[in-house]
Amino acid sequence: MIKIEGLGKYFGQLNVLHNISLEVKQGDVFGIVGHSGAGKSTLLRCMNGLEGYSEGSVQVMGQEVGTLSKEGLKELRKNMGMIFQNFNLMSRKNVYENIAFPLHVWKYPKDQIAARVEELLKLVGLSEKRDEKVRNLSGGQKQRVGIARALALNPKILLCDEATSALDPKTTISILELLMDINKKLGVTIVVVTHQMEVVKMVCNKVVVMDAGNIVAAGETERLFLAPGEELRKLVNEDDYAVIPHGTNIRLMFPREIANESIITGMARELNIDFSVVGGRIERYRETVMGFLIINVAHDDVERVLIWLKGKGMFWEVMQHGE
Amino acid sequence: MANELLFALWETIYMVALSTLFSGVFGFAVAIVMILTGTNGLRPNRAVYSTLNLFVNLLRSFPFIILMIAIIPLTRLIVGTSIGSTASIVPLTIAATPFVARLMEGSLLEVDHGVIEAARSFGASDMQIVFGVMIKEAMPSIVLNWAVVAINLLGYSAMAGAVGGGGLGDLAIKYGYNRFQTDVMVYSVVILIVVVQIIQSIGNRVYERLK
Repeated sequence: MIKIEGLGKYFGQLNVLHNISLEVKQGDVFGIVGHSGAGKSTLLRCMNGLEGYSEGSVQVMGQEVGTLSKEGLKELRKNMGMIFQNFNLMSRKNVYENIAFPLHVWKYPKDQIAARVEELLKLVGLSEKRDEKVRNLSGGQKQRVGIARALALNPKILLCDEATSALDPKTTISILELLMDINKKLGVTIVVVTHQMEVVKMVCNKVVVMDAGNIVAAGETERLFLAPGEELRKLVNEDDYAVIPHGTNIRLMFPREIANESIITGMARELNIDFSVVGGRIERYRETVMGFLIINVAHDDVERVLIWLKGKGMFWEVMQHGE
Repeated sequence: MANELLFALWETIYMVALSTLFSGVFGFAVAIVMILTGTNGLRPNRAVYSTLNLFVNLLRSFPFIILMIAIIPLTRLIVGTSIGSTASIVPLTIAATPFVARLMEGSLLEVDHGVIEAARSFGASDMQIVFGVMIKEAMPSIVLNWAVVAINLLGYSAMAGAVGGGGLGDLAIKYGYNRFQTDVMVYSVVILIVVVQIIQSIGNRVYERLK
C-alpha cells in the first residue's frame, strides 16, 4: 500500500527526515513511534502529500506522491482518510455537517450523503449526537466524529496523527478499539503516529521507531517488544532492575502463543529448582498478553533451565551483570 | 429642522450603507488574495502578497480628508460630480477597502490551521477551503469586524460632509458650526451616537447567534 524508500526532507538547513525506508502492507496497523520532534508527523504528512519531500520516493497504492498533479493528489487523498490530535473539526458545524463535509466536497448527491452519514454515525456510535454542535462533545466523541469524517469517502488507508494523545487513558482505549474494528471489519490499512508505547502495543502489528529523523528500529511489534534493542529500551525506559550479585539473570520473553501457559511454575516443578523473580512486565498486546520476566537462577542451574526453555519454545536472553 | 435632520440622517445611512457594501466586497476580495498568497497560505506568492500589503499600508496611511480631495478627479470620472452624498461614496469606499482587507485578513488568519489541513486531507480544493472552511469558520469574527468598518465609515462620512458630501456631518458644520445653532450640533451628535450604538448591537447580536 505504502512504500517509502530513501526519503529525505529538509526544513531549510534542518534535516527532519533522513533516509527513511519502510513498507506498509494492505491490512497492516502500522505504528510510527518516537519522541516529539522525531519527525514522525512529518513522515505521515509525506504519505498524503500534505508535506513535500526533497529526496527519495513515497509510493502510495502504486503512485509516486511527489509527482502527482493537483488533481491526482486530490484523488489520492480521497482514498486516504486522516485524523488528528486536536480533532480539527469545524466548530460552527454540527456533528452531521462535519461528517458530511468531505462528501459535499466531492459533490455526492444529497440522499447518498444522508445515508452515508447515518451509516458512519452508527459505526462510531454517535447516532444520538447527530445534531449536536461539536464544541459540546467530549474529546473522545470529537475524535469519533473525526474518524467518521475520515472514513466518509471509504478510504483504503487511514492516517492517525497522535489521534489519542489528547485523550484520557480510558477514552484512548475505546478509540483504539474502534480503530481495530475498522481495520478488521472494513479492511482499512491504518498508519498510527504516536509517542505512546501503549498505543503501539495495543493496535499495531508492525512498528518503526524514529529518533531525530531516522528510523532506529523496525519490525513486527511483538518481536520488537519482546527483544527490544538499545533504542527502544531507551524509549520505554524499562532498564531499571535490581542486580543480584549471585546467580544469573535470564530475561524470558513471552510471545503471545504461550503467554497464557504457566511456564514459570511448570519449570520450577519439573526441574525442581529455586529462582527469584527480579523484574518483569506482562502487558496486553492487541487481543492477547505478552511481556517479559527476569528471573535469577543459580549459575549451576543455568544450562538446565535454558534447555528446558528451548523445549517450550520460549525466547530468552541471558543478561550480563550490570545490565 | 426635523425634516432637515431626517434628510441628513437618510443621506448618512445611504453613504455608509453603500460604501460599507462596496468596500466590503473589494476589501474581502483583497483579503482572500492576501490569505492565499501569504507565507502560510494555500498558494504562497511573495510578489503578489508584498504588493498588496504595501498597497494596503499606503492607502491606510492617507488621512481621509486628504485622500478625499486627492481623488476628486477619479470621483468625477466615476459619478460625474464631486459634490453630494453619491460622490462621497467613492472616497469612502477607497478609504475603507484597505481597512476592510486588513481586518478580514486578520479574521481569516484566526481560523485554526488544523481545520484547513483536515480539509486538505480529504481532497478539498483551495477554493472549497476558502469558501467552505475559512470564511465559514471566521464568520462571527467577520461580522464583528464589519460593524467596526461601518462605524468607522460613519465617522468618515461626517468628515465628507465638511467638503460638501451631505449627511449629518454636513448639517452639523453648516448649521451648528457656521450659524452657531448649537441645538443642531447637539441633535446631529446624538443621532450619530445612536446610530453607532445600533450598528454595534446588531453586530454583537449576529455574532452571538453565529458563534
